[in-house]
Amino acid sequence: MKKRTHFSKMKILLLLIFAPAILLAQETITGKVVIEATGAGAPFVNIVENGTDNGTASDIDGNFSITVGTLPTRLKVFALGFGTKVVDVETAGEITIQISESTESLEEVIVTGLATSVKRSNAANAVSSVSAEDLAGLTPPQTLDGALAGKFAGALITKSSGAPGGGIAVKLRGVTSINGNSQPLYIVDGVYVNNNSISATGLNSVSGAASGGNPSSQDNPSNRIADINPDDIESVEILKGASAAAIYGARAAAGVIIITTKKGKQGKTKISFSQDFGFNTIIRLRGQRNFTEASAEGTGAGNGALFTAARDSGTLVDYEEEIYGEEGFISNTSINVSGGSENTQYYAGFSNNEEDGIVKNTGYNRKSIRLNLNHSFLEDRAKLSLSSNYIDSQSDRGYFNNDNTTTTIGQSATFTKPWTQLFPNELGIYPDNPDAASNPLQTRDLITNREDINRFIVGATLDVKLYEAEKSNLKLALGGGVDYYELITTTIFPKLLQFQKPGNGGVNGVSALGTTENKDANYSAFLVHNYTTSNSLNFRTQAGVTKQTFYRNTVGNIATDLIGFETNLDQGANISVNQFRQEQEDQGFFVQEELNYQDKIIGTLGVRGDKSSNNGDANEIFYYPKASAAVNLHKFDFWKIPVINQFKIRAAYGEAGNFAPNGALFTTYTNTLIDGIAGIVVPVSPLALGNPDISPERQKELEVGFDASFLDSRINLEFSYYNKKVDDLILRSNIEPSSGFTLEFSNAGNLENRGVEVSVNADVLEGDKFNWNTNLIFFTNESEITKLDVDAFNLGGFGAGLGTFRIEEGKSATQIVGNDANGNLVVLGDAAPDFQMTWSNNLSYKDFTLSFLWHWKQGGDNINLTNLLSDFGGTSPDFDDIDLDPAGVTANGPFRIGAFGSGNATPFVEDASYLRLREIGLYYNLSSKIREKVFGKYVSNLKIGFSGNNLINVFDYNSYDPEVSNFGSNGLSTGVEVTPFPTSKRYLFHLAVDF
Amino acid sequence: MKIIKIFLITILSSVVLVSCEVEDGKDLNGPSTESISSDLSRGELRDAIFGVLSDMRSRLGTQVDGQAVAGREYWRVASSDPRWTADLLTGTLDDNTFYTTNPYAARYATVKDVNLLLEGLANTTETFTTEEVAGIRGFANTIKAHELLMVLNQQFENGIRVDVADPQNLGPFLSYDDSLTAIFNLLADAATDLSNAGSDLPFSLPSGFSDVSILEFNNALAARVEAYRGNYASVLTLLGNSFMNMSGDLSTGAYFTFSLDGADIANPLFFALNSSLSNVRLAHPTFITDAEAGDTRLNKVVFRELPNADTGVLEPNPITVAGPDGVANSADDLNATHDVFVFTSNTSSVPIIRNEELILLAAEANHITNPTAAVAAIDVVRTAAGLSGYTGGTTPEELVTEILKQRRYSLYAEGGHRWIDLRRFGRLNSDLAGSIDRPGDAIFDRFPTPANENR
Repeated sequence: MKKRTHFSKMKILLLLIFAPAILLAQETITGKVVIEATGAGAPFVNIVENGTDNGTASDIDGNFSITVGTLPTRLKVFALGFGTKVVDVETAGEITIQISESTESLEEVIVTGLATSVKRSNAANAVSSVSAEDLAGLTPPQTLDGALAGKFAGALITKSSGAPGGGIAVKLRGVTSINGNSQPLYIVDGVYVNNNSISATGLNSVSGAASGGNPSSQDNPSNRIADINPDDIESVEILKGASAAAIYGARAAAGVIIITTKKGKQGKTKISFSQDFGFNTIIRLRGQRNFTEASAEGTGAGNGALFTAARDSGTLVDYEEEIYGEEGFISNTSINVSGGSENTQYYAGFSNNEEDGIVKNTGYNRKSIRLNLNHSFLEDRAKLSLSSNYIDSQSDRGYFNNDNTTTTIGQSATFTKPWTQLFPNELGIYPDNPDAASNPLQTRDLITNREDINRFIVGATLDVKLYEAEKSNLKLALGGGVDYYELITTTIFPKLLQFQKPGNGGVNGVSALGTTENKDANYSAFLVHNYTTSNSLNFRTQAGVTKQTFYRNTVGNIATDLIGFETNLDQGANISVNQFRQEQEDQGFFVQEELNYQDKIIGTLGVRGDKSSNNGDANEIFYYPKASAAVNLHKFDFWKIPVINQFKIRAAYGEAGNFAPNGALFTTYTNTLIDGIAGIVVPVSPLALGNPDISPERQKELEVGFDASFLDSRINLEFSYYNKKVDDLILRSNIEPSSGFTLEFSNAGNLENRGVEVSVNADVLEGDKFNWNTNLIFFTNESEITKLDVDAFNLGGFGAGLGTFRIEEGKSATQIVGNDANGNLVVLGDAAPDFQMTWSNNLSYKDFTLSFLWHWKQGGDNINLTNLLSDFGGTSPDFDDIDLDPAGVTANGPFRIGAFGSGNATPFVEDASYLRLREIGLYYNLSSKIREKVFGKYVSNLKIGFSGNNLINVFDYNSYDPEVSNFGSNGLSTGVEVTPFPTSKRYLFHLAVDF
Repeated sequence: MKIIKIFLITILSSVVLVSCEVEDGKDLNGPSTESISSDLSRGELRDAIFGVLSDMRSRLGTQVDGQAVAGREYWRVASSDPRWTADLLTGTLDDNTFYTTNPYAARYATVKDVNLLLEGLANTTETFTTEEVAGIRGFANTIKAHELLMVLNQQFENGIRVDVADPQNLGPFLSYDDSLTAIFNLLADAATDLSNAGSDLPFSLPSGFSDVSILEFNNALAARVEAYRGNYASVLTLLGNSFMNMSGDLSTGAYFTFSLDGADIANPLFFALNSSLSNVRLAHPTFITDAEAGDTRLNKVVFRELPNADTGVLEPNPITVAGPDGVANSADDLNATHDVFVFTSNTSSVPIIRNEELILLAAEANHITNPTAAVAAIDVVRTAAGLSGYTGGTTPEELVTEILKQRRYSLYAEGGHRWIDLRRFGRLNSDLAGSIDRPGDAIFDRFPTPANENR
């Protein structure tokens, strides 16, 4: 506790002396104020009888005693740096009051380093923090990364798929890599957590998606950060670029997301139970084409008669509604127990999350068990923290996105006419779909596409104070962690399916099993030395070493021509096996010096060195320097503006790296088979020529900004500008195909991101009963390819005739180009939004709280091919409307098909702006009076409420949802839409009880 | 302070431990190309040879379909990629999309496989005998010539690069004639090597090559190239050294084989009968209407019919491909009644070159100098197709018409021959004029050079 209140020790003494006398006539409340996060006593906190001037303050251990006139009464508890708390007291005697550090607190501490943290007021970067309350308190998120959307400045978070259970791309401050990793590094309690997206074995062999224009995975996999239970998280800190993340070195270019999980607190054992029930439903249906007999006939000879017959007998089927119209059941159960003694604290939690999709036979189930232990020993000089987490999750993902066989549920549905009858007969036999290669209802009901995860994440840190004196101390911090998981993908396409029947050219059933074993481990050792001079100049020196190892082994087996209805892999006539392995070892060291002059001027200098087996020369060390300064102007004597109680200017510079993608160093043969004899060939897809001299990408970021607080911190303003340059971009660029390769790896370009982030937080109303806190965030980013040593090249789409991304010097890195009506290659859009803005509000009245979060993304374009596909099927809802043709003659359907035929991509690039009510929640905390009447002393808190996700969505975008990605989470190509799994909105009811 | 020293020593030693050397990363998922090109061992020889032969089949479907659609042998329809019935029928071709780039890149990838093999052979420390070296080199260059010819067939007068051994320093584009010459020379050198290779090659070959020797295969290919160049005397010599047999089985030849095993691939030219518009090859109506009565080669296409769901009676199952406006029942539709059914299963073999073509090459080589021999060769093919002997005129022009017709029916849908044949006799536009299906459709004589070639 850092600041004393105006209640002097003398007053406390007097109170203590006179209290017993007053006691005789009045009621005395005694107790202890403790800090919620640590359980430690909170000294010098004000305790005032609400509405009076009768008050006291806690002593150095947090104990207090106050005498009041009558009971029940209401106590207001407050101190600088803590949230104000109002407590109803019914009876005299002992009570414990928990207070928590407020998010706007001046003394908030942020974890930014490998072994140290820094007070927010002294930080030279705008590090965003998301608290447990903000993350999961409002409405329970499906996944951690999804829950971050809209909660902080500088991120573009895109959900690739509406299938429950993840598939989310997070981009911090624009594009950081073209062909390398662009996803941030996740660190949970010091453990580097893997966030791979691994496609299910066998899906592509059925969909053939990668055999056509684009060889990327379009298999709709989830990403592994989805395994982390958002409920376990205490706080999240986001280092958005190299200026903040340089100490993480060679893996930090895309930013670092540091997650701290909940820890036990000293004191009485606390049991919390919560249960949510709810359902999800599609955000928006695209709708049906309004057929007439003539337009039906236009889709094929004889269809007009079929249409009228079906219309007259009332048997027209809305297949969109039929497939996407389900209401998925949601149930989240969470129970945790925490507590501990002075030396040892524990937190144990179990949660079970179930969510069905809006398509039958899809859904997600995650069970997570966590045990966190803290133990202090050697007279509090050493502290051991252990965190362990086991996750068992299962995700049924359906069969969506692009294909080249018209077999995915999404594609075949767009080709299916409403008069076509696809339901199974009374024997359960599904008719073949005359409109497409697959009967989407049959496919939906019979296939399996499942991901099963068994995962352990275990980490430990040991902090030891080696030496402690008045002016200096030395601390040793050792850390280590392992993230191990086994991912099993099961893909079954039974032989009953229309497209599996040999008579239809099928392979008589496919059963595929993919097994991935992934083990990432990290170790670190740090020494931190503090030295304070007599004039309050503090030097903090730290140095240390780190090591990370990565291991992945994926084995995929695909069996086709299955015997009977068996799905075991040995029950097929043809079996193929593939294997993918990855091993990497990184080593690094880090040295940093921080200078702090009376919290007025804070400067930092540091350098990180890294080497990796993933570099051309494994023992070449790459250095990443950093330097930053923050000046708290308000702490100087010359500061004479009382209305601005805090004003800090700051600047930070740092560099960080990004490794070459796996395999970029090598030109690898792939195996093949002819006549039963194996052979080796240069790989067909993608035919990439490796480059043994490749070096990591280097990001250099400069961030400047200021933080200001007004009216005793009721209003806080944060402004940042950054310039983030990426040098030595690793590009997989085109090479003349006559070389035998189509792509080659090289360090061949630079890019630059510039952006502004502004956030304003205000306590608009602060009353006894009514409180209103509002938070407005605005941010924007602009990118440019500043240098390109290879020819401009397209990537991430389906060619210039359908719209594609294009890397071109002097242009935005996320530009979308395509041929116009005259066949000229022109810029048709840009995937990057013009700006994003979020507005969150927290209103409370007595025991009710209402919170909501609006998210406005302005601009940013998508390549939308869903309409074109349904045009081919003749089923687009706007097929007969006329609003695309500039001449106002041709209806939209024929116009888009005509544009496609002439290679004109203009109609396929669409504005993907949206305004959405991302989260809303209304909660009621049972007042203590009623609670104690009903439950006695057994229940300490009871909360009920309703909440929802995405309940209001405003967009012009001509499909399910502008937030979509056919190509999954990595790379540039988010925002390409090909018949996706549509996204949903969710409605939930909550019950939470603390015992 | 003693404790501190112990701690510090522990830390320093752990720092030293951690900071030991990092091993260089290895390519864990396959052999690097250097393993072959730096030193070809006997063990790797089979891997490399079978790799080359397997890779020849890559994107074969796209290549054959592209040429067959261009020559109006059939329509290829894929509902998820309508460019098959758009670009390839209108002749407005894109230089950066799959029908242009995929076969081109795939053929050059096989050329790369061959070049790596040849490089490895030059650098080998293995004790290959001179005969073995000649055999490997002769085989490799024969395949390389075939692949280059496949590229040239699509590129025509754009010409192609022949010297592509160094990716960073590619050779120039040669003209069409110079490219053909280079391909012929490659085959001739390979033939010399193969004749010096002794009786046993140091490698086996897949079953698709069991009918013919590599030298015979080489000579057959060289005969095709010489016919393309119009060097008819040379054609006859080469045919004499090939596996041509006027009285033999017309299907004797070299084949691509397919299977559904593991890393093998299925025949890309097979679709089941009565397939939907999702993926189908539909015979061009002129194939049926232009045929002579009784031609048994009409069994290469099959009338689409399905049993009625209620009565079980077979009913016609014609199919309509909507035009560029996406609306069926208008003048720009394609209406088909027959499926292409040359390959009857997904493991059927696809000919590379076979006796029937060689006999027709003999007819062509004789059609000016020895019409009688030409007619005799034509009649071998006609008789096999259930037709009577040729009774038409024997002027060169009349014979060319007859030979082109026989080539059209004999080689239907197996290599995109018709488009190449009409082109080399300058008859693309005249002969295909009646096969233009829709307003706006047009004939083209070459595929564009892929954009990424940066010409």
